[in-house]
Formats: sequence, C-alpha cells, structure tokens
Amino acid sequence: MPNTELATFLAHSVELESEAKERYEELADTMAGHHNDVVARFFQRMVREADHHLSEVMQLAQQTELPVLKAWEFEWPEAEAPETSSYEAMHYRMSLRQAMTLALQNERAAECYYRQFAQRSADAETARIAAQFADEEVSHAAELERLIDDLPENGAHLLEEDDEPNMPE
Amino acid sequence: MDTVPLKAKDFKSGVKPIWCPGCGHFSVFNAITKAMAALAISKDDTVMVSGIGCSSRLPAYVDSYGFHGVHGRGLAIAQGLKVARPDLTVLAMGGDGDGFSIGGNHFLHACRRNVNLTYIAMDNEVYGMTKGQASPTTAMDWDHSKLTPHGPGVRPFKPAALALAAGAPWIARGYSGNPNQMAKLIAEAIEFPGFSFVHVMSQCITFCPEQTDWKSIVHERQEPAVTDTDEAAKLFLHDDGFMTGVLYRQERPTWPPPASITREDANAEQLAAAFKV
Repeated sequence: MPNTELATFLAHSVELESEAKERYEELADTMAGHHNDVVARFFQRMVREADHHLSEVMQLAQQTELPVLKAWEFEWPEAEAPETSSYEAMHYRMSLRQAMTLALQNERAAECYYRQFAQRSADAETARIAAQFADEEVSHAAELERLIDDLPENGAHLLEEDDEPNMPE
Repeated sequence: MDTVPLKAKDFKSGVKPIWCPGCGHFSVFNAITKAMAALAISKDDTVMVSGIGCSSRLPAYVDSYGFHGVHGRGLAIAQGLKVARPDLTVLAMGGDGDGFSIGGNHFLHACRRNVNLTYIAMDNEVYGMTKGQASPTTAMDWDHSKLTPHGPGVRPFKPAALALAAGAPWIARGYSGNPNQMAKLIAEAIEFPGFSFVHVMSQCITFCPEQTDWKSIVHERQEPAVTDTDEAAKLFLHDDGFMTGVLYRQERPTWPPPASITREDANAEQLAAAFKV
C-alpha cells in the first residue's frame, strides 16, 4: 500500500527546494543586472547549494509516486514555501551581510518546517526523513553563520549609490 | 504518447527580467506561469498583451505569443485579438498608470464590453519607469516625488469600484506577497467566461519602499465572491483596498455574441460586415 504521507511530504520538499533555487536564481540575475555584483555572486552560490539539496531530495523521492499539486494546493506555514526569499526583504542596494542574513532566515524557516513535520508525522519513515532534512538545514545555517561572522562590521545597511531614486530632499 | 506536464518554469522564456530586486511584478510573473502550468495551457494558443511601463515588460518573459503595445492601449489590442481569434487565450496586463490614466478609457469600455479575456493590472501606485511620479491610484498625500512635493492632492481611483461601475462581470484582488494565491486567482480569471479583472497590489520597492508594509495589512476574503451588484458596490466603496480574493462574479453574455464571427471571418471586410462598421 503506498505511503501517502511520505509522498505528500516529499512533494512538499521538492517544491520547497525548487522554489528556493528558482528565487535565488531570479535574485542573482537581477542583482547582477543592477550591478550589485557581490550580492549577485552570493545568490549564485546559494543557487548551487539549493540545486544540490534539490537533487538529494529528488533522489530520495525517485521510488515514490508524488502527488501532482497546483501551486496553491501546497500547505505552507506562510504565503510561500519556507526557504523562499521574500520579495519584501529585497533591495537592489542590499549589502552582502543583509543578503546572508536573509539566506540564514530562509534556512532556519526550512529547518522549522521540516522539524515540525517530523514531530507531527504519524508515519515513522516520514518522521525520520523529515528530521534528517531538518538536521541538514541546521548545518546549512551553521555554515552561513560562520560566513556572516567573517564579514567586516557595519555591513548591515543599504549600499550607497550616485543616482538616488527621486525622493524628497 | 503521453506528454510530460509542463511546470511553471517551462512557461518562462529565458529572457531575464530587468525589474528591481524585490519588485512585486516578479511575483505576478511567477503567478502567471504557475496558473498556466496548473491549467495546462498551450503556449501556442496563448497571447500576452501589454502597454508601456515596468509591468508591461512581462510578455517578453513568458514563453508564449506576446505583444508589447503602446501606452494604455494593451486592452484595445487584446480585445481586437480575442474578437479576431476567439480560440486563443488572451491575457492583457499593465500598470496603474498605463491602465487607469492614459488607458483609462479603454479600461472602462473593456469592462462594459465583456470580451472573454483576462486583464491583470499591477498597481504600485506610481509611475516607476519614469522614476517615480504620482499615478491615478497614488494616495493624496504621497509626497515622495519632486513633481508633487505636497502630494498629488486628489483622491485616488478605486480600481475595483471603477470596474464594477463600468460593468466588469468578474473582479478579484491579489497581492504580490502571495504569488500562490495570486496564481489561483489568475487561473480562475482565465477560466471565467467573460472579462475578468485581476487588480494586483504589486509593490514598488524603489520609489515606494513603504509598500513593504502591505504584507501586514493585506487580508484574504473568506466568503465566496459577491454575486449581487448592489452588495458588491457597498463592498468596494467601503473596503480598505487590502482585501484579496475573488470579490465579485456575475456571468453575463460576452461580446461579440457567439457565432457572429469565427476565425475564418477574420479579415477586414468580413469584420466590417459582421459588425456593420
């Protein structure tokens, strides 16, 4: 008999990692277009990381027939998948520290999602895999914390530019 | 032979959007591709039509047919196209300046004419492409532009109320911070048999950074769409402008009447004869 809880969980995991990767791709491209090259390179790195995680999840899901869900049929704690960078948090002048902090929040949100799924799952196999994914997100978050610690201080403000938007003087 | 269902990303053209990072239009773009994937729409039978402005760049980013028209004329082009080719799925799109100012007249008549197409207005309450001037939906006291240092001083349009008054049969409101809900709205809009208007609050992170606060204000309507026009009028005149969901729905005959024109009729002489031009 197919394990529907595992299939549903894996479908959500694939979507979570796919959305994270696609959003980072979008952000890397648009930051490069706005000449914020440092942040663009960081988001490109996050694309590679997300792609790696997605491949791992998809490999695990290979033996399971996943339900086909429409975008609005996924059940997330908030409006979008937990590891997806919020548009409201973006700015073309964001600093590397701000970008890394955002990525760290994403990893923590994903960990929280996987951990809660593990805790409430009635299926032992689903709970085991969800807990494993949560632990992996913890290690990703730790790596980002190390990167942030290595940054110089005072990097948490928007970068300056010569051509400010048309704002009151 | 079975075909593999297309995913949302398969509906992206590969042309990289040049919107500012954080722009709400990215979210609308993603919602459109998600809706197309969910409905398994044929790329070859779909056309995106736009006017001018930041949001009107969108057709270039979707892997379908597209027409980047002239300012405010996206709806005129889209209606002509749908009348000539009723077999196509037509989506018109643009911003608040394009749709409610220079294209305001086309918007009113598109609402009352009820051609079977979807119009997505990405409303950030500002002319972004020209660096931040007040639009028809800008708040009276918005003083961020040097052209209106004390605010525009005139009341903003209420696009949903305007659409209802002009006769639009299907009205929804979405928010760029919730692309999955917006995808559902757009899918429903495409499936509605008539003119469907999706008003999207789509933040401009560059000229209106205060719009990031919308996330804490937006609320989703839990009740089904209103079908009574009087009730809808009360809803739109008194709502706070931040209620999302399908707000109004009333099916009525589309224009042109069925069978008055077919794809085979679509040449200038036959069109003129069909409509007694």
